[in-house]
Amino acid sequence: MADELIPTWEDVARRYGRKIYNFAYRLTGNPDDAADLVQDVLLRVRKGLASYTPGSFEGWLWRITRNAFLDGVRRKKRRPTSPLPDDDRAPIGASPSPDEVLAAVRLSDDVQEALLKLPLEFRECVVLCDVVGLTYEEIATAVEAPVGTVRSRIHRGRKLLRGMLTWPV
Amino acid sequence: MAGMNAGSCDIGVLLSAYLDGELRAGELERVAEHLGDCPDCVLEFRMLKEARAAMRLLPLLEAPEWLLDEALHLGPELSAYLDGELMTAEIPDVVGHLTVCARCRDDLLELDSARVAIRALPRVEPPEFLDVARVARSSPTRSRWRLATAAAGIAAAVVLTLGVATRPVPEQTVDLNSFADRHVARASVEAGFSMLPVLAPGPVTP
Repeated sequence: MADELIPTWEDVARRYGRKIYNFAYRLTGNPDDAADLVQDVLLRVRKGLASYTPGSFEGWLWRITRNAFLDGVRRKKRRPTSPLPDDDRAPIGASPSPDEVLAAVRLSDDVQEALLKLPLEFRECVVLCDVVGLTYEEIATAVEAPVGTVRSRIHRGRKLLRGMLTWPV
Repeated sequence: MAGMNAGSCDIGVLLSAYLDGELRAGELERVAEHLGDCPDCVLEFRMLKEARAAMRLLPLLEAPEWLLDEALHLGPELSAYLDGELMTAEIPDVVGHLTVCARCRDDLLELDSARVAIRALPRVEPPEFLDVARVARSSPTRSRWRLATAAAGIAAAVVLTLGVATRPVPEQTVDLNSFADRHVARASVEAGFSMLPVLAPGPVTP
């Protein structure tokens, strides 16, 4: 891909800022952590664009994003603040609200909560696939794993997620 | 949830990829054919479809405005640019941004003013009583000589004191409060006198 047009970092911020924020929010479940991650990623992009060699830009960008996320997780592990809920047995969303709007909010809260209980490697693949909308090939580049592994992680992640949700979708 | 346990079929792992249109040609027919025969895999496929639908229920959130606004402008690079501390690879990017972004140019001017103001601060002379020059001149050899002289002086003083010890000496006390007051008064009227520890002046020149 010799004639790939490399975007400027301003383009990246405009075009991908919201997507990166959503990726970060779904992975962390926390707006502050998501904002920190977006700042970190865009700074890394700004510094890294000069050395980017044309190839899969999406794969490159999401690898940076994912690495920034993992660095954040490692930092948090050294200084744990609020642990994730550890009661995996309790079913989530057993009684959805009858009100449609509230129900929609509740449903997405339930999905978010279930998502946070997925092992990290499953969670990131599912989010990159279903929230960010990457292909398996792009996800493989982002998480630095073979496509077969990505396929398996998405599959197992979805199975686990569905098992945690008791309401009909 | 029988479908969730359809472990006996090796096709199970392909079902998500089937759902996402990520199967290769040979696999596609194999899965489609298998789904016609295996109720367990049909159930599992439905569950996976529901999981994907659940994920897609998640609304696409707006990132906070300040966050993207901040991301579109230069930050610490501006000071590094002023100080000639940018990495070579960063320079074209920063300069390129400055040519098109009025806000960053304004920020740069403000930072430059602050930098100039800081650098224009007058050089502070150490207070006279420190006699920095004399301390700097003193060599280890001289110090040893002084130490020997001081020791001899102390010995002589001890002998002298012992010699006059029989005479009554009026008691002398030091009033700490008045000593502190005098010190504060001096600090407030004498320029260059400070009660704070005096640090070696830096290389800053106006």
